[in-house]
Amino acid sequence: MKRISPFLSSFLLLLLALILSLAIGSVFLSPAQLWAALTGHGTETSRTILWAIRLPRTVLIALTGMALSGSGATYQGLFRNPLADPFLIGVASGAGLGAVIAMSINWPYSFWGLLAIPMAAFIAALLTVFIVYSLARVGRTVPTTNLILAGVAFSSFATSLTSFLMLRSTNEIRRALAWLMGGASQSDWTAIIAIAPYLFIGLGVLLISGQTLNLMQFGDEQAQQLGLNVTRAKTILLISASLATAAAVAFSGIIGFIGLIVPHVMRLWWGADYRRLIPLSIISGATALLISDIVARVVLAPQEIPVGIVTALVGAPFFLWVLRRSKNLGYW
Amino acid sequence: MFRKILYLILPVVILLAACSPSAMNTPLPQTATGLTQPTLVQTQPAPIILTDGLGRQVKLVSPARRVVSLAPSNTEILFAIGAGSQVVGRDELSDYPAAVAGIQSVGGSMGNFSTETIVALKPDLVLAAEINPPELVKTLENLGLNVYYLPNPTTLDGMYANLRTVAELTGHRDETSALIQTLKARVAVVDAKLVGSSAKPTVFYELDATDASKPYTAGSGTFIDLLIQRAGGLNVAATLKDQYPQVSLEELVVLDPDIIVLSDSAYGETPQKVAARPGWGTLAAVQKERMYPFDYHLLSIPGPRLVDGLEQLAEMLHPELFK
Repeated sequence: MKRISPFLSSFLLLLLALILSLAIGSVFLSPAQLWAALTGHGTETSRTILWAIRLPRTVLIALTGMALSGSGATYQGLFRNPLADPFLIGVASGAGLGAVIAMSINWPYSFWGLLAIPMAAFIAALLTVFIVYSLARVGRTVPTTNLILAGVAFSSFATSLTSFLMLRSTNEIRRALAWLMGGASQSDWTAIIAIAPYLFIGLGVLLISGQTLNLMQFGDEQAQQLGLNVTRAKTILLISASLATAAAVAFSGIIGFIGLIVPHVMRLWWGADYRRLIPLSIISGATALLISDIVARVVLAPQEIPVGIVTALVGAPFFLWVLRRSKNLGYW
Repeated sequence: MFRKILYLILPVVILLAACSPSAMNTPLPQTATGLTQPTLVQTQPAPIILTDGLGRQVKLVSPARRVVSLAPSNTEILFAIGAGSQVVGRDELSDYPAAVAGIQSVGGSMGNFSTETIVALKPDLVLAAEINPPELVKTLENLGLNVYYLPNPTTLDGMYANLRTVAELTGHRDETSALIQTLKARVAVVDAKLVGSSAKPTVFYELDATDASKPYTAGSGTFIDLLIQRAGGLNVAATLKDQYPQVSLEELVVLDPDIIVLSDSAYGETPQKVAARPGWGTLAAVQKERMYPFDYHLLSIPGPRLVDGLEQLAEMLHPELFK
């Protein structure tokens, strides 16, 4: 494995996943039909399926996977905790609460009315992170333990409130459940344009923060002595990772496991240097979520399983396999 | 080595098996599109313009010939008004009438529809319902499909109006008028029989009693409540605020209904099981053995079978009038 370039192989896998995602769906299109549709020929149906359904969905799923996995790697480094995932300090539960509140309101059928749910999810997610951060603050520092505890407590609170609201508004329970289990079946270019700026800002900052995260592995005090402004670095990393995650969940719902496990696989395969780990996690996060989404589309076709179910169903055995054959004992 | 190859090949095999052509929808019969042309020329029908439940204007040049139904209620309505042969796709949960099983499913039991399957069916009308989120309507609209969103009715008259709307969209006006006459006549028979009765038994409509200490029921604002009243009964849960509230057994003992309707009988609940539940033995309905299995579809799906539900309820509540 060490002889192959990690970036080249990750890119090739991503390319393969992208092609499969465009080629496979509940409607069978032969390679010839696909090629015709891709070059602007073929039937109108196959062109619509490829360009208006599969392509935006593939792009949205890839971006979501990038955001979740990149943020996951960052959170694990930031908290120096292998169990950290992008939802650790409340992004998911906050977004879920926002989405379910928005679903209980009868929005007009208009451009903004249709964007109400993702906007509410996005804003609520960022608000949650802000509240948790403020609660965890002690003077001018933000102790990691406080952040985790405040995050877990606030998440539980928001999750309970979400469940309560779901039971009260029985009409929306299916829609809410579908959102909470994750899935981007209703994706179009509007969604991608809406989240892209936040994703690129968030992930852009994470991409250049590898060295900072490496320093942070020594612990707050040592990192400070090595010349890092720890509180500022923490704040910037938290904001960037949360921004990317909030944008990702706004349209795709809560997709678990990807943000936890992809960084670990990358760490097992390519080592714990965050300068490499962050970009590799971002690339492979897209690959992993694309593959999960393909499985979600085809196992019960034309039924679609929420992709949040598939990520763990496919991802957990894969991760255990990687973990089992890893010779790298003290990889963390 | 062998194991390595197996690990590599297995996912590919699974993916290929899942997307083999046999699992996909069959090619579309070309005759359907060929048929529209002559009728268009012969009759020159006026375009159908209707405003749907989302306030959208839906325009059809001629009655729809290839309809995809996105809800069980829509499927039932389409078949009841004689448009069954025009249905080319249906949601996964549609299961009535039995002929539905042979129609291409477009998914949706977990909220996610396969939009590409819908597009591939080339429908000239997609009939959505209130259980479909507006985002789905928008997505399908953006794909160039003609979508009509049929709102849930809240009264029997509203249900008749929905039948008329679907008839308008699919070109079955005359059959539907006849159907509505029949349905109204059946309701009138029930009404006439109930005129003679003054006693109104109290009814507990059990939706789900997986947790027998707090079963789910239907409150006010639901068809269940409306039709229990119409069938000459009093819904004990009508005073509760939620549409589908969970009632504690203590509360149920106080309410002490005369009759328990087991709409969860499809999930294996029987009068014997109800009698054996801890704490239920003291209820009047249990002691007088007035517990009736009931097909929940009849009152959960806002279509023409609501009238079947009404007839069955009336007979359960007032067996003396239906001898």
